[in-house]
Amino acid sequence: MSEPLAAPSITEIGKARTRNDGPLKVTGTARYASDHSFPNMLYAVPVGATIAKGKIKTIDTSRARQMPGVRAVLKRGDLIPISRITPSFGDALMLDEPRPPFDDDIIRYYGQYVALAVADTFEEAKAAADAVAVSYAAETPNVDPHLVAEETKVVSERGDAKKAYAAAPITIDAHYAISPETHNPIETHATVAVWDGDELTLYETSQGVVNHRNVLADMLGLPRHKVRVIAKFIGSGFGSKLWPWSQSPLAAAAAIKLGRPIKLVLSRPMMFHSVGHRPRIEQRVRLGGSADGRLMSLQHDYVNATSILDDYEENCGEATPHMYSVPNLGVTSGLAKRNIGTPTSMRGPGAVPGLFATESAMDELAIKLGLDPVELRLINEPQLDEGLGVPFSSRHLKECVTLGAGKFGWSKRTSPVASMKRDGATVGWGMATCSWLAARLDCTASIELRDDGTARVASASQDIGTGTYTVMAQMVAEMLGIAIERVEVAIGDSRLPMGTVSGGSMLTASLVGPISAAIAAAGEALLGLAVADQNTPFSGAKAKELQFRQGRIEAQNGNRPTMIFDEVLRGLKISAVSGQGSGEGSFGAQGKPKFSSHSFGAHFAEVTWQPDIARLRVSRVVSVFDAGRILNPMTARNQIEGAIVMGIGMALFEGTEYDTVSGAPVNASLADYVVATNADVPALDVHFIEYPDFNLNALGARGVGEIGLAGTAAALTSAIYHATGVRIRELPLRIEQLL
Amino acid sequence: MQPFDLVRAPDQRTAVAEGAASHTAQQGASVRFLAGGTTLVDLMKLGVERPGRVVDINRLGLDDIHKQANGDLFIGATARNSDLAHHPLVRGSYSALSQAILAGASTQLRNAATTAGNLLQRTRCMYFRDLASACNKRAPGSGCPAIAGTNRMLAILGTSKACIATNPSDMAVAMMVYDAVVHIQGVAGDRQIPLMDFYVLPGERPDIENVLEPGDLVTHVTLSSPSTGERSTYLKLRDRASYEFALVSAAVAITLANGAIASARFALGGIGTRPWRVTEAERALVGQAPSDKVFRNAAEICLRGARPQGQNGFKIELARRCIVHAFKQITQ
Amino acid sequence: MTDLGENIVATDDPGYGRLTVTLKVNGQEREVLIDPRMTLLDCLREVLRLIGTKKGCDHGQCGACTIHINGRRVNSCLALAAAHVGDEIVTIEGLGVPGRLHPMQAAFLENDAYQCGYCTSGQIMSAVALLREPCGMSDDDVREFMSGNICRCGAYPNIVKAIQRARRALRGS
Repeated sequence: MSEPLAAPSITEIGKARTRNDGPLKVTGTARYASDHSFPNMLYAVPVGATIAKGKIKTIDTSRARQMPGVRAVLKRGDLIPISRITPSFGDALMLDEPRPPFDDDIIRYYGQYVALAVADTFEEAKAAADAVAVSYAAETPNVDPHLVAEETKVVSERGDAKKAYAAAPITIDAHYAISPETHNPIETHATVAVWDGDELTLYETSQGVVNHRNVLADMLGLPRHKVRVIAKFIGSGFGSKLWPWSQSPLAAAAAIKLGRPIKLVLSRPMMFHSVGHRPRIEQRVRLGGSADGRLMSLQHDYVNATSILDDYEENCGEATPHMYSVPNLGVTSGLAKRNIGTPTSMRGPGAVPGLFATESAMDELAIKLGLDPVELRLINEPQLDEGLGVPFSSRHLKECVTLGAGKFGWSKRTSPVASMKRDGATVGWGMATCSWLAARLDCTASIELRDDGTARVASASQDIGTGTYTVMAQMVAEMLGIAIERVEVAIGDSRLPMGTVSGGSMLTASLVGPISAAIAAAGEALLGLAVADQNTPFSGAKAKELQFRQGRIEAQNGNRPTMIFDEVLRGLKISAVSGQGSGEGSFGAQGKPKFSSHSFGAHFAEVTWQPDIARLRVSRVVSVFDAGRILNPMTARNQIEGAIVMGIGMALFEGTEYDTVSGAPVNASLADYVVATNADVPALDVHFIEYPDFNLNALGARGVGEIGLAGTAAALTSAIYHATGVRIRELPLRIEQLL
Repeated sequence: MQPFDLVRAPDQRTAVAEGAASHTAQQGASVRFLAGGTTLVDLMKLGVERPGRVVDINRLGLDDIHKQANGDLFIGATARNSDLAHHPLVRGSYSALSQAILAGASTQLRNAATTAGNLLQRTRCMYFRDLASACNKRAPGSGCPAIAGTNRMLAILGTSKACIATNPSDMAVAMMVYDAVVHIQGVAGDRQIPLMDFYVLPGERPDIENVLEPGDLVTHVTLSSPSTGERSTYLKLRDRASYEFALVSAAVAITLANGAIASARFALGGIGTRPWRVTEAERALVGQAPSDKVFRNAAEICLRGARPQGQNGFKIELARRCIVHAFKQITQ
Repeated sequence: MTDLGENIVATDDPGYGRLTVTLKVNGQEREVLIDPRMTLLDCLREVLRLIGTKKGCDHGQCGACTIHINGRRVNSCLALAAAHVGDEIVTIEGLGVPGRLHPMQAAFLENDAYQCGYCTSGQIMSAVALLREPCGMSDDDVREFMSGNICRCGAYPNIVKAIQRARRALRGS
């Protein structure tokens, strides 16, 4: 009997690994959608409506069509029919704006596409688009920021919130609002559409290649297997690239019509019109508490703006029912239609804006009670999800709070407004807690084990900067006991085994089971081949005798040698064996779940305020998260930090402004829509407390893409109040409010 | 972008002759000089600038920076903003100018942008930059949607019923404080215009922004020789910490003698349709001992006539604080 | 019309007004036939197929298009390609390749100074130029010098870390 092989000592899970796609990103060799070009390719530039409400009277393309290099100027009636489909999230057929481009002559939002100029070069196409003359019968658009719900619905209720509120000794009744926010990934949406007469290939900026393939195929009337969506690298999206938007079928239809590849890249202003945004939200929170800080009643009512045709709901009340222990609770939601582009999920949809309101109200309650805001959270920590009546899968919010307070030095805080000073400036300290859902989506992955010791994992999923390429490789490396350099990761192609979207912080959790199952399936296939082949040491063994574990075939009772998969394959003279595995999602499942699954966290923020020049800066943030097992602390920390940066923007700078006369988003540029620069971001101190959540998957891993944004704005406005005595209830802050 | 002929001027005389073919040097010019391109190319893409002919003046040797025999600082028209900001003469004796340039834009933009280009940069008003919008500066008489619309970043000084667009330059504010003179080579010969007289208020013709005539080529700017013992600074207030135009800014310069202000100059940016300097406000400082009250009083004089719009009235108080703080920084 | 001397000459096809222009990119002379309206950014990406430089806003407001011209970092989206004959143009491709990375590229890799990677070329080109600029040694100095490069993923803290580590390593060597 041969010497037993030493157990592999590969520990990749939990390693702070540099990204395997890093060399491509730092050398500019990673290919994003608009980086692709093809022979005979034409450039397409859309023409957007310059009114927000009304009708097209005439479209005169005559001058544009005569311009040099122009191949076509397409408008309604010029393209193959593009169908309106019925969206279905569960069927991977989701989009927020089903209305096909050019569907009718009615304009419902500024920038709605009315024509498409196609030319040999981008300059020629742009000039032609500018030369298209459209006349409108314009009406006064409704972009009124004051939102009144046409009707409201109950999202969650327990007890009698109104009665308990009326009886409560201490109450808070406050209105909170969030300006519309625009995702603004640095990469604008783009489609490169290639039609060969039979098959359509789309190089897309997509957070969901399978969904995108399904939607486009159905909209264009093509069989799904004849459409392929490729997105190997995506310049992020934050939700704006989850679902297809109308420039995609437009580009594809133009490619089919003209029989030439089409490159369509949105301009930055178009990013404010037609690819979704977080809409304006107005919220009201009423808290009723006892004198010792116990919540007796919580009412959370909110309205979000939506487009004329589509009812997009920002689920602000998502975290409210489970965040706090409160016996009487009511959450209602409503919509208000406006002449705006259809909104869409933007990083942390629902709970992020919702927590701004509820956590701000908690801060106001703490102040009214004379209680430390940390103390108020601890007092009201629930023992179970009181909304669903089920235990939490894994909740360690109290530990996040106490650990964060300790690291921040919170005990040194003096509570009176403007009582803390440093270097001649006033310092404000604030905090907030947060949560974000943890769930899985249906997902499939395949594994190929090769005779050269490498393995390839494949799934039609995406890496939008979240580190998917790397964590998938880490999972496979550890599960197979091979060096990570030997793992090839294939994602970003709808032809791969059906993956799922990069959304809701759910992708990583969704991949764990399928990858593990795929490896098991490949191992089982290998086992089957090994026992059947006379030339292997496993020949004739019974199935129960052997197992495939960490990339090796080994005998249960040690009476056969252990062999690594590539050795077995070489012995079999087979180059590769593969297996596929699927996992069932947990998100949106019917009926009451067994557990309430979320990640949790706490932010502690410091702002520095110089009243003599009205200068407010964020100077320090400490954040602690209970986000399950962290597969890669390096990429996870980066995600959280990035989300906190976005939270600084959300609180201090960001807001899309609609002109009341034209309905246009007037600040449709990266100069006028203000996001955080490097100079706005101080040292960020992020910590994870790792409690693997094995209810979610075998590794106990949850996602961390969105939770960093939850609670950040409230922590900042809490700090701003502490420094200035001004309670910011509408985001973004305007320094004139502090003068 | 409109098609155009791109030509490279071999000498100044030819550049002037090229420019003279345009009917105007103001909005709507059919011939434009190309230096850094950070304003011109930006606006050509938007269709706001539509020259049929673009004359590249980058190789005319107009980029020198040196001290003249009379002590004035010579700054070439196509000297890059970053070179000017980092020049030892400027950092040493014109501190507010160096700070002002470095407070503006980004390193990338400052590496391309030039002296004259910076002085001639156009407003950032979102309606001006949007061809789909009416704009009296682009098309006199078409209307000003900013007045009843979004105007938080726009002007409160030097405005008219036709236009409230802010001049966004930081550099020009500091140059104004240093008594800059703009040197021009034109069709009829050379002339010099003090920067104080260079910009024109919008009035009823917001399309006319300065005194340049067709063919006028700015060749250089001179700054008066620095006063001994003068301290200066530039303070820029904005929402985010960098890479943003000013809400309000101030360039201030002061000399003290025996605990009192011997001379003072200051100008405001981000709040006027041109950089805003009021000499009466400066005279009010002379002879006074530095104090918040004294600086506030000068601020009030400077801000006289300020007309707040719907969203920018806060700039008045912000400007007061800016002036006071800037002066305090150099007198403490 | 006077002879404009060392001028750029239009091609034979006046209807299109294209220019034949020779650009020196990453040490190589490249002759291109382009529309005068073409920016250097689009010329690099669409004609020369050097796709490492990215378009984020096309108006000098994000820095994703940052390249070096004559050793200085500039926004290529605001440069007209035809106006840069005779200039030394360096793009991310000219800095290093996988396996032979510039120390700054290696520092970005080691410090996870990116997420989606779209702004990364511009960040690195800015960071390399910063090495030759009068940037103070503090993190705040680096933050200010790098503020002309927007990162919507918010990888700023790691970008600063990467740059500071690269600076220290290069100074030490």
